[in-house]
Amino acid sequence: MVHALGEIHRVLAPDGVLIDLRPLCDRWSVEVVSARETHVTGYVTDLPLGLEDDAAANRAMAQAEANGWFTREKETFFPLNYLWDTASDMEKWIDKEWENFIGLDEETRRATRSAWALGDADSRVRVRVKMLITRWKKQQG
Amino acid sequence: MTPQARKDPEGNETKHLHKFADFAGKRILEIGCGEGRLTWRYASAPSLTVGLDPDRNALRVARLDRPSDLANKVHFTNAHAERIPFRKETFDIAILAWSL
Repeated sequence: MVHALGEIHRVLAPDGVLIDLRPLCDRWSVEVVSARETHVTGYVTDLPLGLEDDAAANRAMAQAEANGWFTREKETFFPLNYLWDTASDMEKWIDKEWENFIGLDEETRRATRSAWALGDADSRVRVRVKMLITRWKKQQG
Repeated sequence: MTPQARKDPEGNETKHLHKFADFAGKRILEIGCGEGRLTWRYASAPSLTVGLDPDRNALRVARLDRPSDLANKVHFTNAHAERIPFRKETFDIAILAWSL
């Protein structure tokens, strides 16, 4: 990762900008939502690989900063939603696409299925992902 | 078959990206562009956009999806971030798109 940041530093013009945009593991909430209400049914479980990925990315950026390649200008967190039509769709998608990064415990699966089944006709299921965006300015390094 | 997920229906990612960078007339390198999902949310503004990704299949989709009016200014390159095949100081903005 640090080598990649060195490459980015090389191809950026003087005063160039690096935008780091990524999700952070942080027990994202699982919700059943309709036009009328939002019902939090549980939280995903952060798995070791996802947590280690976050830590490694943070270490790499810290190293790039220590090397004098970039300085942090601006940073914020924001939510990014993933939305499914049914609880079952959400479970299948997460089990396949995010299998190594987050998990869903049985209690959250049961609560989500139940809330979706008993919810309004327009109920959907969503996971609220925590996103980090940081603006870094190139230094001469 | 895996069900589809709708990602960011509110467009929060795009809003924040535009708050953090002014793309107008700039030369952009997007690292980890994949199928171009994020690329199409800003690519009309820069003078040049290059999407970089090690996944050839994803880049094939990105090229097929490229609008004809962006064909001259949005390009995709199969490469890893550890070895970016461009000369020094080529870009004004680099985006690490879910890829650090």
